[in-house]
Amino acid sequence: MQMGFYFDQSRCTGCCACQVACKDWHDVPAGDEKWMRVLYSEKGRFPNVFVAYLASACWHCAAPICADACPADAISKRENDGIVLVDPEKCLGKDDCGAKCLKACPYDAPQFGPEENARMHKCNFCEDRLAENKVPNCVEACPVRALDAGPMEELETKYGTGRTAEAFTWSKRTRPSVILKAKSAE
Amino acid sequence: MNHQKTVNHPDGRIVRTTSAYDCGGRCPLRLHVKGNQILRVEGDDAPEPNQLRTCLRCRAYKQYVHHPDRFLYPQKRVGKRGEGKFERISWDEAYDTFIRQLDRIKATYGNSAILLATGGGYLASLHQGGLAASRLLNQYGGYVTHYGNISSEGAVWASLTQYGSVMVGHSREDMMNSKLIILWGWDPARMISGTNTMYHLIRAKENGAKIIAIDPRYHDTAATLAHQWIPVYPGTDTAVMAAMAHVMITENLHDQQFLNTYTVGFDAFADYVLGRQDGVEKTPAWAAQISGVDADTIQTLAREYATTKPAALMDCQGPARSAMGEQYNRCASTLCAMTGNVGRPGGSAGGGLMGIPVGHMFRQSAIPPGKNPFEADGPNVKGTLDIRMRVKKRIHINTLWDAILEGTKGGYPSEIKMMWSMCNNYVNQIGNSNKADKALKELEFIAVSELFPTATARYADIIFPVTSAAERNDFTRPWPSGPYFTVINQAIEPLGECKSDLQIASELAERLGIEGFNPHSEEEWLKILFDNNPEYTTHIDDYEAFRQKGIHRIDLPEPIVAFRDQIKDPQNNPFPTPSGKIEIFSRRAADLDNPACPAIPKYLPTAEDRFDPLAEKYPLQLLTPHPRNRVHSELYLVPWLREVEEHRVWINSKDANARGISDGDPVQVFNGRGTVALPAFVTERIIPGVVAIFEGSWYDPDENGVDRGACANTLTRDAYSGGGACVMNTSLVEIKKVQGSA
Repeated sequence: MQMGFYFDQSRCTGCCACQVACKDWHDVPAGDEKWMRVLYSEKGRFPNVFVAYLASACWHCAAPICADACPADAISKRENDGIVLVDPEKCLGKDDCGAKCLKACPYDAPQFGPEENARMHKCNFCEDRLAENKVPNCVEACPVRALDAGPMEELETKYGTGRTAEAFTWSKRTRPSVILKAKSAE
Repeated sequence: MNHQKTVNHPDGRIVRTTSAYDCGGRCPLRLHVKGNQILRVEGDDAPEPNQLRTCLRCRAYKQYVHHPDRFLYPQKRVGKRGEGKFERISWDEAYDTFIRQLDRIKATYGNSAILLATGGGYLASLHQGGLAASRLLNQYGGYVTHYGNISSEGAVWASLTQYGSVMVGHSREDMMNSKLIILWGWDPARMISGTNTMYHLIRAKENGAKIIAIDPRYHDTAATLAHQWIPVYPGTDTAVMAAMAHVMITENLHDQQFLNTYTVGFDAFADYVLGRQDGVEKTPAWAAQISGVDADTIQTLAREYATTKPAALMDCQGPARSAMGEQYNRCASTLCAMTGNVGRPGGSAGGGLMGIPVGHMFRQSAIPPGKNPFEADGPNVKGTLDIRMRVKKRIHINTLWDAILEGTKGGYPSEIKMMWSMCNNYVNQIGNSNKADKALKELEFIAVSELFPTATARYADIIFPVTSAAERNDFTRPWPSGPYFTVINQAIEPLGECKSDLQIASELAERLGIEGFNPHSEEEWLKILFDNNPEYTTHIDDYEAFRQKGIHRIDLPEPIVAFRDQIKDPQNNPFPTPSGKIEIFSRRAADLDNPACPAIPKYLPTAEDRFDPLAEKYPLQLLTPHPRNRVHSELYLVPWLREVEEHRVWINSKDANARGISDGDPVQVFNGRGTVALPAFVTERIIPGVVAIFEGSWYDPDENGVDRGACANTLTRDAYSGGGACVMNTSLVEIKKVQGSA
């Protein structure tokens, strides 16, 4: 079984409630370390403008290239639900290792705090909430219900198999566990 | 007694509560609390799709309540006034100083020298700080205060004139019935406009509604939803609306039967539109010259709006926060009537989305302030449309600083010598912050009740530290939409030595020898406020269950539609206007004999519009929209919200290129009133000729007078429109690139 996310880009207003709720749940201070990020794209010329936001967490890839890249074996994929987890105790630290996981990841999911030789942290699918049968906090936080999470088969039944969105490229190599509804220009 | 109801939780306990921000939403929260610390926030857990989902602001509630910069103890000023340097003192010393100054100023100058500045910083029933202080100063012999709401005065005046009521809104679910929704100056993605409003708009679109956004900016709501964006210059909306009316009238697309049945004065408006009054026909070509919207677009829009039924024209309050603001809301309401959309499901009444008539914040019960002896010999202003009457004994909110500087010789009600300020950050949030700096340095004494070292608090001589909503019990109501009632259940004990405004006022009353000021405990007060509000007693059987759940939802058989009864059965349900009808022509407005308040809605030129000769020097119009990462200036210091969006000035690439400005460059925005420094956001999302600075960033002038906090109001005018609207969105500015950091 593989857990994954659904993201409806056509609904996202870029409000960042997901990002704040993630920081609140996991107690991550303000700063560059963002387990959930909201990316902004703007295209076109006035008055024909196209704007899209992309919520971007860790997509808990089927083939997590970050795990392969880690020299310390700190990243692993959980067997029963496919969640990709990092053991910060094993992580060598950003400065000592050169952030090989971040360089390998197509989605910038590995995150590092501002401290010296910061250990990697990232989205853990709110594993503590998952244990209580709750969806990740970002999903519950979305005011416009643009996010969902669950077993990939269930999400596919509900939402199809969309793999494109503005500012997102589906990686054949890593096979991210996310289904997308793209936003297109009107 | 702490009334919170909690459940067991491994991390401590869960408190069902809500916040009290002056926010467009009012959302149930479940706070995870351990000891005296909020650990986490969860939102509503009602079954979907009815969850009232909180936005990012309350998601960061923990960092607000527990922010390290909060005032936890009384303070006295140690530096120069405005420098913001304070030293901890005891409550005894704070109270003694305050009372010594209060008594001295009363004895020397009289009660009218005492300015009480209150506001909407927290909106609840019992702890609405301004009311406890009003009650105290009323019993102390009186004071002078302000009139008018910074946000909504234009919409209030327009709705009272047109409908005799401000309850002009539909519950948001009704948008599912609309075939066309026009967002005219409305960006609920940022200003929320009622919990879940954006969600309901999205569902309406997914249900097939066409969405058109008319706005100088391609804001986040437009970017998410709009099939069409019509960029318009600020302050010219009414011209476009008049031209739409012209198209409808000349093509006979208006609903004459509706107008005959439900309105008065349409002929006078038609005369204006057709140029029978002033010789100027309000054609699309005429409006195009003014608004920047081309004539074909106006014509198509008018036809589409007139022929798509039902259609919801959603005007808001931002464009009304301008020098002729109320005309925009009145003209919108007039178009709603011309198309027969008033009182109809899927339609709208216009009037600035003031509110729905069930569970609205305006109908919240509150601690009774009593009467102000200073206003006893003033005119009766209840329900008046004449702003000149309202400023006989009070000061229009947007001229507060001028009133301090000019006093009675400037036509203001009194000579002000001291200010007690609470529940507001007016240095920041009303026009002309540099004038605030000057005015507040003139006063003999300033006390500020506050949680944070705001731009206003920096001018205090004495700070009273106030609790947050997490530290007290209360009732709250949704702001414009609902329908539901919420409870603030106390989550933690007051931090440091913070006290509620009611407690501060009560303790001051005791020291002032005012007997019987506060006869009730908090719990007694709450029960009284509950029992005395017919809405509570009609809808809620079980007070205790209401407190425990933290919310009472009202099940509606169908969405609320403003004026549904008036439209269904006009004989038995007149509109609450003198004529009993929708007043497109208002006799009451005509009787004002004030050219700035015409009897029918009109487009009017004003100072600092885009045709003012001043535009040669300051060629850009400034907009000051709601921020998404704070509530006005509240939450400004919260780090999780700060990082969501850098404070930058929006500028079109065309205007930026002409000035050598690239995205992210440090710039200064300036006019005759001041200069602010911030980075540029170069974007295609704003009409050329207009720049936007989100309001609420804290004013912070450096030694050269450059506002490093880039408060939008450093640049705005301290004036008001004929109907009392603050004019923040009618300001001309110029922008230049600067070296180094902004």
